[in-house]
Amino acid sequence: MDSARADILAARQHLQQQGWIARRSEAFHHLPPPALDQWLGAQLEGGCEAPALDGSGWTLHPIHNQFGNHASSGIHARWLDALAPAERAELFAGLPLPGEGEAAPFAWAQRALCRLGLRVRISATPGREREPVWLELRHQPRAQAEAPLLVLDVEPGVRCVLIETHERQADACRHPVAQNLHAHVRLGAGAELQHLRIVSPAADDSVAHHVHASLAAGAQYAQALVASSSGYHLQRSCITLEGRGARARSAALLLAAAHKIDLQTYTRMQAAHGASSVEALALAQGRAQAVANAHTRIAPGADEANVRQRLMGVPLAGSPRLVLRPHLEILHDNVQAAHGATWGALPEDALFYARQRGLDEARARALIIEGMAHALLERCLGGEDDGLLAQWLQGGWLARAIGGQLQANAEVQHA
Amino acid sequence: MTHTPPLLQVRDLRVQVGERTVLHSVSLDVQPGQLVVLMGANGSGKSTLGMALAGHPHYAVQGGQALLAGQDLLQLPAHERARAGLFVSFQSPPDVPGVKNNLFIRTALNAQHEARGQEPLDAFDFLASAKKAAKELGLPEAMLSRPVNEGFSGGERKRNELLQLSLLKPRLTLLDEIDSGMDVDGVRAVVALVQKLRAEGTAFIVVSHYLTMIEQLQPDAVLRLDQGCIAETGDLELARRIARTGFARAQQTVEA
Repeated sequence: MDSARADILAARQHLQQQGWIARRSEAFHHLPPPALDQWLGAQLEGGCEAPALDGSGWTLHPIHNQFGNHASSGIHARWLDALAPAERAELFAGLPLPGEGEAAPFAWAQRALCRLGLRVRISATPGREREPVWLELRHQPRAQAEAPLLVLDVEPGVRCVLIETHERQADACRHPVAQNLHAHVRLGAGAELQHLRIVSPAADDSVAHHVHASLAAGAQYAQALVASSSGYHLQRSCITLEGRGARARSAALLLAAAHKIDLQTYTRMQAAHGASSVEALALAQGRAQAVANAHTRIAPGADEANVRQRLMGVPLAGSPRLVLRPHLEILHDNVQAAHGATWGALPEDALFYARQRGLDEARARALIIEGMAHALLERCLGGEDDGLLAQWLQGGWLARAIGGQLQANAEVQHA
Repeated sequence: MTHTPPLLQVRDLRVQVGERTVLHSVSLDVQPGQLVVLMGANGSGKSTLGMALAGHPHYAVQGGQALLAGQDLLQLPAHERARAGLFVSFQSPPDVPGVKNNLFIRTALNAQHEARGQEPLDAFDFLASAKKAAKELGLPEAMLSRPVNEGFSGGERKRNELLQLSLLKPRLTLLDEIDSGMDVDGVRAVVALVQKLRAEGTAFIVVSHYLTMIEQLQPDAVLRLDQGCIAETGDLELARRIARTGFARAQQTVEA
């Protein structure tokens, strides 16, 4: 038996012995994930006569940065076959074993099913060391059950801007997908990464994305997530500030139209002078279920750590279930920490103000919701006219997504 | 002799806020291009009049009538009142987080254009006129690309109301204490804009406590509101008397 096959069998064996995620699990009890079989594709074997999905997996698209040039010379990408022993070894090299944590079964399941992965290394371009490297990663599902892997290394001192999108193409197969994706993001000392993630699954998809980020001394990581709900949708980030002075910001906009979405952001402050902020805005309606967890642990010795958590939930219509759970675990004295959760309607005064200027109710609501979303994302990624966020917003995706959600809401109300 | 119908005609307006009736019976007429100053002690109902005309859901109209150019305002939703030509500047304009000022105003303007069957305004054309208007009002151009009122000082918020007024060009404007928080240059800008728009036919109801600005505005009429009713109607001399003697004294004068 080759080493790749042995590794896959070991992962399956581990899952058999340890079992799937327990229903009483602290992190998952509000929205328990579907059973293990679904993530391994066992439910699909032999039963489906539909043609396989023909998505292309990961594709990489260098994009024009604000200096007007392609920065592809700093991008080193390798697509690796996880069933070929040598390539699998290269793909998983340096990644930690899943361990025994609450979400570990997802990681074991990923090792058991992973067929293809992408490793990307971002390095400085000689002579343009301080210019950020811009790139876009798109992922299209290749199978009804899949476990893609991404490993992204940003070398010390390098600045990188990344847009990562997960959208089902309109003309692609519409079979429901079970996707258990793991991304490992590693920032060297002083490296900076702006990471915008757009995840818009189909209504019946089951999606679990796990981002594992580790930050060396002085590194800066900003992750902004825009995610819509589906049959099951988990977005889990574990961000570890390992080096002194590392800084992490994360912001998540959850668009829960009628389905489920579970956001889990775990931040580990391991070293002194670190700063972390976690924000989430959940917009839910109908019978949607949205959960936002923020858990930050300040380790002993993380002197002068500065931590903020702010979770907001806005029910737009119907009777959605919104759970907001900010949590701090502080094991050091000399730190600053603040957290809060607010749950409430759209600001009435702003709504009336817009209506007094001539906007009808629907347009006023859309404008204000878009504004709240922009403000959230800007606090994470910055609002420069030529920045990542501005470039993405120009495409109109967010406006269309919010408009679509409000339209669905209006249709439900009129039905 | 021809009789011009009033642009705004309010009759026996009675308005409740929560459990309290704030306006008991207010009647007034405003002609096109006319400027009426509304004075009154705190709590007399000046802002309530503006909010009730604008259709704020917390201000419940219990009776009476309000016609704008013959159209029954009270039967219209708030946005249609605005599209009919009513602009109410807020005493405390709220923040609209994340919505850039120029987008907010352009969206409002285009909503009004659309309602009138007009073409939407081109973004570049709009920006050029917004920059020009901002400059005339002493509002830094950078304010156009900042979220509406977020981080604005009191005076900047009021200037931003004027910016919207100057671009939306309504038929009737109610300015609620537009001068509070304004510096001298701001008050000059108010007067200049009001004069310009009046010349174009816009009518004004101006709520103010300060004689200096009232004198500069050269009102056609001054009304004193007391306990939810129009207690006195006069001209600039009434405003001068109130400034001299205060509202308590004015009340005694009427009773005598």
